[in-house]
Amino acid sequence: MKGLVIATHADMGAALLRACELIIGPLPNARAISVQREDDVEVVRQSFAEAIAAVGRDGDGVLIMTDMLGGTPANIGASFIDAEGVDLLTGVSLPMVLKFFNSKSDLGLTELALILKAYGQQGIQLASELLKR
Amino acid sequence: MKLVLARIDNRLIHGQVLEAWVPNIHANCIIVANDEVAQTTMRRLLMEAAVPKSIQVIVNTVEAVAHLLNSAELGDARVLLLFATARDALLAFRAGAPITTLNLGNMHAGAGKLKCSCTIALAPEDIEDLQALEAAGVEIVSQCVPTEREVAWSRMLPKVKGEG
Repeated sequence: MKGLVIATHADMGAALLRACELIIGPLPNARAISVQREDDVEVVRQSFAEAIAAVGRDGDGVLIMTDMLGGTPANIGASFIDAEGVDLLTGVSLPMVLKFFNSKSDLGLTELALILKAYGQQGIQLASELLKR
Repeated sequence: MKLVLARIDNRLIHGQVLEAWVPNIHANCIIVANDEVAQTTMRRLLMEAAVPKSIQVIVNTVEAVAHLLNSAELGDARVLLLFATARDALLAFRAGAPITTLNLGNMHAGAGKLKCSCTIALAPEDIEDLQALEAAGVEIVSQCVPTEREVAWSRMLPKVKGEG
């Protein structure tokens, strides 16, 4: 089973996992990393290494989701990208996290990441625009 | 070229820089002076990709950046200059970078460092390098984000040393 690490500024990742659990129940192979203003980069890097090892124990790959391209969580997470089994997706949202757990398990990591990217983008809508259609 | 902010931030380009400083000082060019990132294609590409297209990003070695800042190449850009360490800032200054004020943004805690604030911890060599910059006329202040009050670094030091 693929693993998920959500890394964000402050505690947004942990809250996303809680929100996701509220909707679909307990989440296996998922960890959140909270990056605080005072955190040393090396300490955060160590948290990433531990989280990736923990959720990646099945050897099916690990997807890191982060809140913002260019933010510290994404910058540090990017150093863990590995063509074999770790990829990084920015702009995490609740629909993307839900879809991660509700996707078919036989998808490859990159295949899944591309689906989640598109799914996240589709999840952003302006209600007044929808009403005009 | 107008140098609107020169900052030491060991996170280099990140959320505080992009979302708090850039809009506040109306920078339209971010220059990262860092030998390691300049020589690591992956990190450099990701850094460039993270910045909105309306803002120019230049990542180069400390020495190359010092030369660039003295050339006419930057036109009338409003530059936000980033260093990861006090040593890089000092090297750039000595190589001619026109720094008059240096902002201490993020210099995080580690073994053997004096903790001065929640985001600033200084090793003895950091203090020496900053003192050298100050002696050369550079004003050194600490301010993590624009909404925080700017504090002269000299006011942070004695507190840690127990002199004040």
